[in-house]
Amino acid sequence: MTRALVPPVWRALPRRALAAAAAVGLLLAGIPRMQSGPPDPLVGLYALRAAALVFALGLAFLLDDPARHITAAVPARRPVRVALRVALVAPWAALCWTAALLLVPEEARPPVGALTLEAAATAVLALAAAALVVRRTQATEPGAAISTWLLATGATAFLLLPPHWTLFVTPTDPRWQSTHTHWALLLTAAATTTALATTEPRHPHTPTPH
Amino acid sequence: MSDLSPAPPSVPTVSAAGLTLRYGGTAALDDVSVRLGEGVTGLLGPNGAGKTTLLRVLATAVPPDKGAFTVLGHDPGTSAGRQEVRRALGYLPQAPGFHPDFSAFEFVDYVAILKELTDRTARHREVRRVLDAVALSDVRSKRIKKLSGGMRQRVALAAALVGDPGFLVLDEPTVGLDPEQRMRFRELIARAGEGRTVLLSTHQTEDVAMLCHRVIVMVRGRVRFEGTPAELTARAAGRVWSSTEREPGAWAGWRTGTGSFRNVGEPPEGAELVEPTLEDGYLLTLDGESSEVTAA
Repeated sequence: MTRALVPPVWRALPRRALAAAAAVGLLLAGIPRMQSGPPDPLVGLYALRAAALVFALGLAFLLDDPARHITAAVPARRPVRVALRVALVAPWAALCWTAALLLVPEEARPPVGALTLEAAATAVLALAAAALVVRRTQATEPGAAISTWLLATGATAFLLLPPHWTLFVTPTDPRWQSTHTHWALLLTAAATTTALATTEPRHPHTPTPH
Repeated sequence: MSDLSPAPPSVPTVSAAGLTLRYGGTAALDDVSVRLGEGVTGLLGPNGAGKTTLLRVLATAVPPDKGAFTVLGHDPGTSAGRQEVRRALGYLPQAPGFHPDFSAFEFVDYVAILKELTDRTARHREVRRVLDAVALSDVRSKRIKKLSGGMRQRVALAAALVGDPGFLVLDEPTVGLDPEQRMRFRELIARAGEGRTVLLSTHQTEDVAMLCHRVIVMVRGRVRFEGTPAELTARAAGRVWSSTEREPGAWAGWRTGTGSFRNVGEPPEGAELVEPTLEDGYLLTLDGESSEVTAA
């Protein structure tokens, strides 16, 4: 069944939102190359962070499904359907991120592993929010609301998180390592939330109603 | 629970007991027990009565907080049972949405795949069959966004019918349709009710009168009435009368096309009683609990 689902699910993806996010993200990642003078590592860092956020804003639309009510009670399991959407988009997301990294000149490029962790955590956070909204509400297309929330959360985290909990430091900062432990925790929490929110809600079981 | 005790269907397809579901502090369903058999059962009730919630629960789209039910003997409380219920189910939700760039055929085909019809040839045959059943064969290649509202509703019905489910759940399928489209839809629902169980939620008492062999009235998350349409109509016997002036004591009253007033409630002595309709019985069953019903 999963193989048969690939073409319609591919067609049902919110490709416009995903493509727009990919284009804007790559444009932002290209900013360091557009600058004159020697490459600035700080510009490279923030350009990649901005690109990661924009990619995540696009992924917030991944579970948008105008037909979700019609398909709410079909035998095809929800985790399979969500996993299929993620699987169809994941290679493109990886490709976009790789392109974004390569767009930043090597001299201005921050540590790739750490930035990839940040990007993955942001993307999975967007997905977790989408999965939670889909599970807890009847919204069919929550992407716009989730991306707004993600943007606001990103800004709030950037401005208001206390110094020992900040997520946005530079590679020269002594907190770089500990900050990325926090990013790893965030990624784990978001991935767990996504997995739990994607499971079928449990129905109460009583052997036989009278 | 119902305040009448009609004979339950001899062979219930759906059997639910004590279904309760709360949203915040509000009970959308409050200890609802129903038994449904073959044929079309109408579900009436004012807005917010819990009709859609009951349908969503029975369609396994949302689990109840308490209570249990079976569909064709399968218990959705277990993962395997839920799968079996869904295999036996066709669900047309209220205000169904579509992928607008899909054609009618592609969309129903997509739903057919989700219903585990994986053999391409057999599936396409089934999709053509249901599109034919809802009279959409001619426009099956047209994009859904180019179809009229009535046609889209029929696409949704075709999606519900695909796989020949034994239990069909229809949530206000005729809302927003013009009279001709509603008539066509009635035909389709009547045909769908032959040999299977159909639960039809509607605000149209006419639909219930014309289609249903049983009717359930819900108010504030509870079943207020369960019985036949004739039994619901009989509740208004002797409580509908005609008058030349507005009757202040009537629970509901309106001027008819002939200029006289039709009143529902407790008639005054010597009132000119008239034949009640199912709608009268329904209004009296609500017993003033609907803010939607106003004297005109």
